[in-house]
Amino acid sequence: MMRFIKTKQKGLRENYLELHYEKLDDETAEIISRLDNTFSNIEGTADGRRIIIPAADVLYFESVDRRTFAYTDKMCVEIRDSLKNVIDRFAGTGFLRISKSAAVNVYKIDHLQGDLNMRVIIFLKNGEKLIMNRGYRQGLFDGLERIRGNNKT
Amino acid sequence: MKLINKRNFIHIVCMSFTLIVCGKLLIEKMAGFTDRHYTENIFTCLFFSVMITAVLALHNHLQRFPLIPVLIGQYVFIIGLVAGFVKLVDLMAGTSTNSLWQMLLSVTVPYVVSAAVYYIAFFRHIKKANSIISQLRE
Repeated sequence: MMRFIKTKQKGLRENYLELHYEKLDDETAEIISRLDNTFSNIEGTADGRRIIIPAADVLYFESVDRRTFAYTDKMCVEIRDSLKNVIDRFAGTGFLRISKSAAVNVYKIDHLQGDLNMRVIIFLKNGEKLIMNRGYRQGLFDGLERIRGNNKT
Repeated sequence: MKLINKRNFIHIVCMSFTLIVCGKLLIEKMAGFTDRHYTENIFTCLFFSVMITAVLALHNHLQRFPLIPVLIGQYVFIIGLVAGFVKLVDLMAGTSTNSLWQMLLSVTVPYVVSAAVYYIAFFRHIKKANSIISQLRE
């Protein structure tokens, strides 16, 4: 079983990950595949300019009038792909569907809150709020369990 | 708690029917009561299991509406169905004077208990999900 060492280091210019292995076994290959997904980028347009952003920076994807947008802390990027394709592509990086037209990055969720009508309000780390449909609730809970399970292995 | 859909509809009807009939038989055994209309009552239980499951299954299609009005609307619909059924049976064969009250109670108690369980399960799920989110953050 692979060891996982997290080291807090002062004075670093940027965080980095380094994976050491002697042989590319199944476990290592799976971790590399997950990391590839995590570090993958999304291409789109913002203010008429072509732009590339890391998928991990996206707070949520939303589909409006058949156009798909990726929202980050600072900008809204229109992407060419459909919401379904985007979710399929980035499902492994923590994106879960919360309504017919939106998918949230679970790593960008601050906390969840239920209201009297049993809707789930998703509070994001940047202070934004998203409302989740009741029909997608179980999917989100199952997805969170799955991601936690994946992170443990 | 699972949503009722086409695939699990029969499964849920069968489970509800079994639980209701077992409950009926247990209460009768404890009370030493002999049901003279056993067959009719068993089919009534089956009829209401199907109808109430069908009404609750509508929940899935009413997601765009707030939950509390949906729950109240479904309850009113079920109560209307029960009252209509009792009235029909009363016209056809005659029922005891408090049959409507007994039927309403038989529907209201499990409905309120189920709604409470549904609510409690929902907030427990939220709490659990928040704990997972905290773990993912670490």
